[in-house]
Amino acid sequence: MEEGSMKKILFLTVAFCLIAATAFGANTIKIGLMAPLTGSWASEGQDMKQIVELLAVELNAQGGLLGKKVEIISADDGGDPKTAALAAQKLVTQDVVGAIGTYGSSITEASQNIYDESKVIQIANGSTAVRLTAKGLKYFFRTSPRDDEQGRVGVQALQKLGYKNVAILHDNTTYAKGLAEEAKALLQQKGVKIVFYDALTPGERDYTAILTKLKSARPDGVFFTGYYPECGLLLRQKKEMNWNVPFLGGDANNNPDLIKIAGKDAAEGFHFLSPPVPQDLPSKEASDFLRAYKKKYGSTPGSIWAVLSGDGFRVLTAAIKATGSTDSDKVAEYLHNKLRNYPGLTGTISFDDKGDRVGEVYRVYRVDAKGQFILQP
Amino acid sequence: MKDHRKIIYGVVTALLVMSPLFLNKYWVDVLNNVGLYAILGLSLNIIVGHAGLFNLGHAAFYAVGAYTAAILNTRFNIPVLWLLPLCALSAGLFAAIVMRPIIHLRGDYLCIVTIGLGEIVRIALINDVFGITGGANGIFGIDRPTIFGIAIRRPHEFYYLIWGFVAVAVFLFHRLENSRFGRALNYLREDEVAAEGSGINVAHYKLACFVIGAAWAGMVGVIFASKMTIISPESFSFWESVLIFTLILLGGSASIPGVILGALLIVGLPEVFRGIANARMLIFGGAMIAMMIFRTEGILPPRPRKYALSDDSSGESRA
Amino acid sequence: MEEFFQQLTNGLAVGAIYALIALGYTMVYGVLKLINFAHGELFTIGSYLGLTLLTALGLSGLFGPVLGVLLLALLVMGLVAVVGALLERTAYRPLRESPRLSAVVSALGASIFFQNAVMLIYGARLQVYPQGILPRTAVNLFGLYLPLVKLLILLASVVIMAALYLYIHKTRIGTAIRAAAIDQGAARLMGIDVDRVILIVFLIGPALGGLAGLMVGLLYGQINFTMGWVYGLKAFTAAILGGIGNIPGAMVGGILLGVIEAMGAAYISIAWKDAIAFVVLILILIVRPTGLLGERVAEKV
Repeated sequence: MEEGSMKKILFLTVAFCLIAATAFGANTIKIGLMAPLTGSWASEGQDMKQIVELLAVELNAQGGLLGKKVEIISADDGGDPKTAALAAQKLVTQDVVGAIGTYGSSITEASQNIYDESKVIQIANGSTAVRLTAKGLKYFFRTSPRDDEQGRVGVQALQKLGYKNVAILHDNTTYAKGLAEEAKALLQQKGVKIVFYDALTPGERDYTAILTKLKSARPDGVFFTGYYPECGLLLRQKKEMNWNVPFLGGDANNNPDLIKIAGKDAAEGFHFLSPPVPQDLPSKEASDFLRAYKKKYGSTPGSIWAVLSGDGFRVLTAAIKATGSTDSDKVAEYLHNKLRNYPGLTGTISFDDKGDRVGEVYRVYRVDAKGQFILQP
Repeated sequence: MKDHRKIIYGVVTALLVMSPLFLNKYWVDVLNNVGLYAILGLSLNIIVGHAGLFNLGHAAFYAVGAYTAAILNTRFNIPVLWLLPLCALSAGLFAAIVMRPIIHLRGDYLCIVTIGLGEIVRIALINDVFGITGGANGIFGIDRPTIFGIAIRRPHEFYYLIWGFVAVAVFLFHRLENSRFGRALNYLREDEVAAEGSGINVAHYKLACFVIGAAWAGMVGVIFASKMTIISPESFSFWESVLIFTLILLGGSASIPGVILGALLIVGLPEVFRGIANARMLIFGGAMIAMMIFRTEGILPPRPRKYALSDDSSGESRA
Repeated sequence: MEEFFQQLTNGLAVGAIYALIALGYTMVYGVLKLINFAHGELFTIGSYLGLTLLTALGLSGLFGPVLGVLLLALLVMGLVAVVGALLERTAYRPLRESPRLSAVVSALGASIFFQNAVMLIYGARLQVYPQGILPRTAVNLFGLYLPLVKLLILLASVVIMAALYLYIHKTRIGTAIRAAAIDQGAARLMGIDVDRVILIVFLIGPALGGLAGLMVGLLYGQINFTMGWVYGLKAFTAAILGGIGNIPGAMVGGILLGVIEAMGAAYISIAWKDAIAFVVLILILIVRPTGLLGERVAEKV
């Protein structure tokens, strides 16, 4: 093939896609979903997509939003800031009235300015870094709680469990390290001794070296702020080593796969923090949602963060409905000031003027002998 | 054939100059990324394409440039455009120091060492080495570049900055390729022993091309940092190095138009494939294999050098 | 002191897995001078196939743990070998005469392709091996905790490496492989069917990688589609450490890398352990540029 013609074909393809990408249906309300559909967080992103699409279908079945159908436009952020910036640009040019997403604070951060400059509402579901709402972005909200709140609740829990010497283990991700540092600072204030503070490398399998080192530091309890794949392995391997010091985990451990990986007898007695899962909420919305999800996909949703994206969708559509418009200023104003105690899938939702979710969201869970997550009082 | 190519380049350049006028923000931003990768590709091209050295850790130099810019800008408020030469220097210096002990390693061993280097830099960034890199959170609040007091914020504005930079890079690299330095690099790529025998100080040239490549990558890092306003270690992973490496080979190594085409493919194709959502990368991987099989030297390989013969039409050689 | 030995054994066990994967890398490199970046994904495919076969066929239920696992191992090895041979046929053979770097890009493309294929077929969520297949007993030697399974893996790796070494050095096909590794053209002139040799290499190497994948699944229980990337990189590092193209080198490199990681984690910092491993690698290469056991081949001018 001649060199020149190859290039021509490429340009034509690009041009064609450009034309094709121009928004078609003027009769739908477009809501964007920015999620990690590929890459290392693909399991979160795909869960998010399933939940939001299910909610959109239900909403359309009930008559849609302001008389029009809701259309979900997904954009893959690949779990990477650069791709996220492009995804955000893409959504913005497709005239979405709001964007849900995403998972991962630095990923969300890469997209914040883009949405803000185009006055598109962004509701993040899995971004807990404190500084995201410290920038004065009027159109940014999050349904996920913040690291500092979780740190506080974590420290409370540790104290309640009576540990005097605590080991803190994180995995060097933005989220885990942030939480670990919050907890460390608070614990030191309260006079609890930190006997170990280090990070493991996520994605590996063998943590015996780390557990051996942890063991020799002799803690009363270990606070692990990382994610459930590693936590499951840690629990399982520590049981194999016959080391029985209790572990407390952060909310990234709220996932039924944790029990699968660790095995029921290793996971028993493990505590973790989390926003309440739909299964534990008495509200009708939560149980309806669970039923519908199970019917369509055959299982309960795996990740609490994905469920938070569902909440993001619901508050956005509620605000649009209440204000009767898709104008970002009005919707933002409603979300900041008028939305109060909205019944969400993870508890009641209100936003403060910075866009943070208000209220004590975190609870403590304990795993029992049957592998169930029991909400602690 | 030659005129054919020149006409196409002319058309492409004209299209590039005019595209912000008829493309929307998203596609302009895609082209921005193409531009950045084009320069990154050119900077690696000196090392991989011309000198034939197997470098899979180029993201390390990119990261050094970006982070130096971020730190200097957020802590000392040095304007972004002034940081360009500074970060070129820091990245180049970094390359000089780090590559010096290992420059003589053979092919595949050099490969793993460069990978290792990339990983060491990334891990150091995540672990907040010396307390200045911000750890996994990265550094935020980097200023946008300002020219005569006008801040460059929108994709259209960045477009001209970036592609202007590309034009400068293309010009400079073109001159470099056709200079003694470029010829020496090509020579040592083809046959290192013969080159050494002809008096080319192989170690010196290898190190020099790494430094030049690193300096340019560092400068791209500055522009990237100010465009995103936040940088974090995820953007400088091994995968990034792989991407830059791949784009050179896909487009045609040691060939400037090839590198630019490669950048277009590597950034453009995943964007074009967005419609296929989950299978996006699957198709991309398959496309990579197919492209290598069907166009092994890349789509636009360099043409062999031509030297005009003297006027002696009988072709007699002179003693 | 006890901690030192405990960490040493931890490192040995991890290193044995790296060694198995590294063997695959080094064999392919020896014959084709190609770094098969897709090898890590073959490892992943091995562990996923193992899971599917285990749950679908219920082998351990039928044949009991020992025989069942052996059968499973053979099946997985066979299947991954086939995948490896297919990979060679589609992605590498057309590029035999091409510049080396093109084959590398093709390998990278294959790696992306396989990884995403696994994600699309099995889903993005991580999968878990059924528990209780292998006994979870541990041996208590001198107060050290040594899980039986890890010891078995270490033993199996040593046995396999020894068998491979004998195969390469004592059989006719092994000699043919070595000949092709030295000079393909000359080997052809000697009447060796180089295509067949390459095919065999691409059956054995991936089979070993797949076996390692199965072992990881059985040992740790948890697998996901991105794990091939990390393991592949580590194994490649191990192969280079020992001298690429050199079979005992791959074994030594693998074990050494595992131990360095464990020691780095124990005595310096867990968060930096990978960087430490790479620094050690670079230092070793500065002193011995062709790897620990790599031969210093004089270049003919």
